[in-house]
Amino acid sequence: MSIHIHHISKTFGSFNALKNVDLEVGTGELVALLGPSGSGKTTLLRIIAGLEFADAGTGSIEFHGIDVTNRSAYERKAGFVFQNYALFNHMTVAENIAFGLRVMPRATRPDREDIDKAVTELLRRIALEGYGSRYPSQLSGGQKQRVALARALAVGPQVLLLDEPFGALDAKVRKTLRKWLRQFHNETKVTTLFVTHDQDEAFELADRVVVLHEGDIQQIGSPQQLREHPKNEFVADFLDCVMI
Amino acid sequence: MAAIIDIHPKSTHRPRRATSDSLLSRVLIIGAAVGFMSLMFVLPLIIIFQEAFRKGWEGFMEAFDDGATMHAIWLTLKVAAITVPLNTLFGLAAAWCVSRFQFRGKRFLTSLIELPLWVSPVIAGMIYVLLFGAQGLFGPALKEYGIKIIFALPGIVLSTIFVTFTFVARILAPQMEAQGQAEEEAAMTLGANGFQMFWRVTLPKIKWGLLYGIILCNARSMGEFGAVSVVSGHIRNKTNTVPLHIEVLYNEYQFVPAFAVASVLALLALVTLILKTLTTTQRGAA
Repeated sequence: MSIHIHHISKTFGSFNALKNVDLEVGTGELVALLGPSGSGKTTLLRIIAGLEFADAGTGSIEFHGIDVTNRSAYERKAGFVFQNYALFNHMTVAENIAFGLRVMPRATRPDREDIDKAVTELLRRIALEGYGSRYPSQLSGGQKQRVALARALAVGPQVLLLDEPFGALDAKVRKTLRKWLRQFHNETKVTTLFVTHDQDEAFELADRVVVLHEGDIQQIGSPQQLREHPKNEFVADFLDCVMI
Repeated sequence: MAAIIDIHPKSTHRPRRATSDSLLSRVLIIGAAVGFMSLMFVLPLIIIFQEAFRKGWEGFMEAFDDGATMHAIWLTLKVAAITVPLNTLFGLAAAWCVSRFQFRGKRFLTSLIELPLWVSPVIAGMIYVLLFGAQGLFGPALKEYGIKIIFALPGIVLSTIFVTFTFVARILAPQMEAQGQAEEEAAMTLGANGFQMFWRVTLPKIKWGLLYGIILCNARSMGEFGAVSVVSGHIRNKTNTVPLHIEVLYNEYQFVPAFAVASVLALLALVTLILKTLTTTQRGAA
């Protein structure tokens, strides 16, 4: 599914988090939103998910040509993965993963056996077979984030939004999960947008990278394009200084 | 040879923490606290039950074989049954509002929630008399339609709501603020509607705090004296709640019945204390 963002602005009080942003993400693309903290990348992701709304009267958001600007988060059903996992701590791992299926309207909700089957399949996929009856507090950070990913995937979202998904993990786990995500994306081709402030992560994972600064998109391009032809001083500077 | 000899023999006394006090000061402080508590809380409690059973079990039971007493108990239960659910809803709404949204005047609203704690209950009662009493602001209009609020159940309920409003909101607001709303957001992106989000995600997170608030709210609504005293008019068999009825009995020198009924309230307090302790432990464990 493609995402089209037209002229989106967002202000918090007197702070301009996003200034007239335009972005197109093609079906099956894996795109990174890269920028320093406060650049508006998380805000943009949250606006796409419907967790935040752009300033009234500014622009629109389309999912595959359908205007979803005024739809709520639960109508958009974009798979969202939070930096701090946001797992339901009072539910088991299996219940967490099944949540999105269980809250479906009765008419479309799969029956219990199918839900169980889907959960088992997802647990296998994130290499956590046999962890279904554990609680989130019994898992490591990397395991938690995989569960969060499985939970988002359970409802079969057409777009996956990841907010600093590996930000809270240590370097080694980060690397493994990065590879895993890349491989997962290659298999499923779900349109994916992820936020990061880590240039290595963006370059290693993404088909295209969007560089943001102070609510403005500075440049959009493949990792190679960015490295070879940074469009302005900020992009050159930001990519360089991180590379040291 | 000399190397074998341990020049630092293992110390025999327990390690002392920098913050710990000497034995004497500990005994004094703990002793003072325990002594004060027994004098102020335990002793009166014992006296209540002692007086209630002065004429034995039969004398105690006789106190409840009285129409006015049973009416007072019934009225108190009725008031609590109306007040507690309403204040649970109001408290949830207020806590939700304060913890989830940023808006102008939020600080004012937060202090308004605490208003019942620093306003004398008598004033809470007076407000409603001034508003709805015969000489009050809306008094004539209400009289015209034959609606009676002061010296009737609605007045008692209103003033009890005022006094007990704070409990659920005050306990939940900081808790919900600390927990944040990432889980709620996750639920929404997974397709949960508002009700499903509240029922499956928010409520399990706050249930012990909520229960704690409800218990306190219930205890206070059954025990409230001041505010209810102003609006009730002390009409026996009509507007006397349990605390008011106890005062009436006591003033009529009916000591055994007065203490017998009081012991019911004291028992309620004890049950509240136990439940409160249980929920606090659960909140800590959660």
